[in-house]
Amino acid sequence: MKSTFRLNLVLGLCLLIALFLAFNFTGLGGTVKNFFYVISSPLQEGFWKAGDVTSDFLAGVFQAKNLKKEVDELYLKSRSLIVKIAELKELETENQALREALDLGLEKEMKLSLSRIVSKDISGEVLLIDKGGKDGIEKDYPVITPQKLLLGRITEVYDNFSEVMLITNKDSSFDAKILDKDIYGVVKGKGDSDLYLDLVPKDKEVSAGDIIVTAALGADFPAGIIVGSIKEVKKSDIEPFQTAEMIPSFDLKVTDVVFVITEF
Amino acid sequence: MLKKVILILFLLYILTLIQSSFLVHFTIFGIVPNLVLILVLLINLFTPLNDWFGVISALIGGFFLDVFSSASFGFFGFYTLIFLILSLFLNFILKKYVEVPFVKSPRS
Repeated sequence: MKSTFRLNLVLGLCLLIALFLAFNFTGLGGTVKNFFYVISSPLQEGFWKAGDVTSDFLAGVFQAKNLKKEVDELYLKSRSLIVKIAELKELETENQALREALDLGLEKEMKLSLSRIVSKDISGEVLLIDKGGKDGIEKDYPVITPQKLLLGRITEVYDNFSEVMLITNKDSSFDAKILDKDIYGVVKGKGDSDLYLDLVPKDKEVSAGDIIVTAALGADFPAGIIVGSIKEVKKSDIEPFQTAEMIPSFDLKVTDVVFVITEF
Repeated sequence: MLKKVILILFLLYILTLIQSSFLVHFTIFGIVPNLVLILVLLINLFTPLNDWFGVISALIGGFFLDVFSSASFGFFGFYTLIFLILSLFLNFILKKYVEVPFVKSPRS
């Protein structure tokens, strides 16, 4: 009796494994996922917005004592930014005239597809967005925020949805350079919303606050998209290269929509 | 039994959605609480051992996590199998070695 039960159990397990293997190898898993995403997306969007609002509110409550300091700092920053805006406005007029002359609009530089964030994976740094294969999305397409900050790239495409691997994901790495300096390196994800710049030659001068942008070296991303800024530089005598801790430029708490770059 | 299964199916579905769309905004040191795992463990610990309800809930919970998470190790079905093994293991331990006072034991 007991041995029959065990045999049934083992058979059941084997059957289940075989079923999942079939799911994985025939791509049926993707179809099942897409079906559930389609029926759940209204609820998921509701939960995502509710979470966004609640976390903003709670952040305000818990960080009340820091807010005064932050307001003062931001006030000072805004003063200096007003000056910059004035300078930039002059440049903008000049730039517009040049663009018109050269016919170089951003939308001509790259084709974008607007998409909404539906959910975020709990096991890794992966987002689910509401555009998929039917909307012309393909694997490895870069994803940016409306502020033109790099978010990640498409790793999985379903009919109506796609998965975006964030640049902070442990499996993410790509070529980047420091803005206004001729210093190249590789940006690698660390997980937990962290990333770092690796393989920077030791003789190059890297300092905290430096802005990192994507490089034209790798074909993964279009060049010149802001990735983040340097937080702390780490040099070691035994290592051939220096590394630097980075702060990613995107903030998912203020990002509801993203752009998938379909052509660049 | 069927009523219980439908109820747990609905509950686990909602919990998975909350986990993947709501709770991701409230990470504790980068970790999102896994409500589905907690519920499945509680069901397995506190339901009678001989009615298979714990195993069924583990299968459902694992399946929903597989659907709403990116495939762990690139394998769809990872969570289902892990939850199933966990549930069977828990049932084995509880049956053999543990006597919970307010849970009906299969031996009694």
